[in-house]
Amino acid sequence: MNTSHQFGDLATQLLTESRRSTATDTLFKYNDVLVRSIIREQRQLEGLIQAALNDPKNNPADGSDNPAMPTILLYQTAILRNKRCLLAYHHHRIERLKDLYWAVGGAVPLLLSMPSGSTNTGPQQAGGTGNAPSDIRSKLSPHEVDFLRSYAASLLVLRTEAFSSDGAEGLTEDVDLLAPITRPPKELHVLVRVVRDCGVVSTEQGAIDFRKGHRFLVRRVDVEHLIVQGFLEEV
Amino acid sequence: MCASSQSDDVQLLRADPDSSEEEHFRIMLVQTEIERVKFVIRSYTRTRLYKIEKYARYIVSTPELHEKLSKAELDHAQRYARLVEYHFNQTVLQSLPSEQRSLDDNAHFMPSMVTQPDKLRPVFVHARQACPPVRLPDGSALTMPKGQISLTPYYVVEQLLLRNEVELV
Repeated sequence: MNTSHQFGDLATQLLTESRRSTATDTLFKYNDVLVRSIIREQRQLEGLIQAALNDPKNNPADGSDNPAMPTILLYQTAILRNKRCLLAYHHHRIERLKDLYWAVGGAVPLLLSMPSGSTNTGPQQAGGTGNAPSDIRSKLSPHEVDFLRSYAASLLVLRTEAFSSDGAEGLTEDVDLLAPITRPPKELHVLVRVVRDCGVVSTEQGAIDFRKGHRFLVRRVDVEHLIVQGFLEEV
Repeated sequence: MCASSQSDDVQLLRADPDSSEEEHFRIMLVQTEIERVKFVIRSYTRTRLYKIEKYARYIVSTPELHEKLSKAELDHAQRYARLVEYHFNQTVLQSLPSEQRSLDDNAHFMPSMVTQPDKLRPVFVHARQACPPVRLPDGSALTMPKGQISLTPYYVVEQLLLRNEVELV
C-alpha cells in the first residue's frame, strides 16, 4: 500500500458527495465506481484480519493474548466505518428520492423522465424544458428505481386502506394524501395556464381539453395534481 | 368525519331548486371549509408518515409503540422497514464478506444502527397547570407552577406531556 492512501479515504469521498448533494439540493449520479472500490477495500481488510488471526505466530501456545490484537482492532474499526459510510450514502440517496417523489405528487413515471437539472424544486421548472437528454432515471442505480416503485406501491396500499371512502356515493371525500401541504387552500377555484398538453380531463364543469397556452378557471381539487406535476401553472 | 357531513349539506343545498343567491354563497363557504379540513387531515397524516418512515425499524422492533399506530400505518412501517433493508442488502451488504453483512452491529463508540428518537433533545415546555416535581439530569427536582415556561431535555417532561399537564411551545 502506498503512503498517500489510508483506509477510509474512499468512504470519506463518498460522504463528501452526500454532503454536497444536500448543500446544493441536487441528486448526483449514482457513484457506482466509488462504491465498488470501497467494497473491494472491505474484502481486502477482511482478508488482512483473517491472515492476522490465522498466523501461527499470533496464536501463542501458552494461551496468552494474541499479540496482533491492536492490528486487528484497527482493521475492524476501518471495516465498520466503511460499512457505515456505504449505508449512509445509500440511505441519503433514498431520502432524496422520496423527497422528489412527494414533490411531484407521487407520479413515478413522470419523476423518472424529469430533466435532472431541476430536481430541487421539481415540477415548476420541469414544465418548460420538456425532454432534456439526461433524466432522473439515468442518475439512479437499478435498485433505486426498484426501491421507488416498491415505495410507491406501499403508499398506494396505505392510501386505499386508510383514506378511501367505502361507499360509491362519497367518492368526493377522498383525501388526496399526495396533494401539496405547503399552503392551505383559500379559494375553491384557481386560474391556470396550460404549460404542456394534458388531454381531456373531466372536471366538475364537465370535460375540459387542456391545450397548451389556454387559460381556464377551474376547481382547484380537479386539477391540483396537474399543477403539482407541472402541466398547469397558476396565474 | 366532519368533511363528510358538510358534503351532505352541500348536496342538500344544491338539490333545493329554490336556493337563493345567499344560499349559493353558503355552499361556497362550506365547500371551501371542506377543502381546508382535508388540508389539515393530510398535513397531519403526512407528518405522521414522515416520522413513521424515519423510525420504521425502531417502531417495528418495539411492540409498545404498535398501539400508537393505525393498522394501515403499522403495515406501512413494516413494509417500509423491509424495503430499506432489502435495498441495503441489494446495494451494499450482499457484496461484502459474510462477516460484515449484519444490520445491527453493536460496536462501541458508534451510534446504534437502528435510528431511535432523540429523547435528550432540548424542548421548551409550558405548564398548563401546577405540575408534580420531575427529576433533572443533575439530580435536583424541578417543580413548575402553572404558566411557567422551561427548557429541559425531552425525557424529563415526557410523562407530564403524556398526562397533558404541560404543552410544548
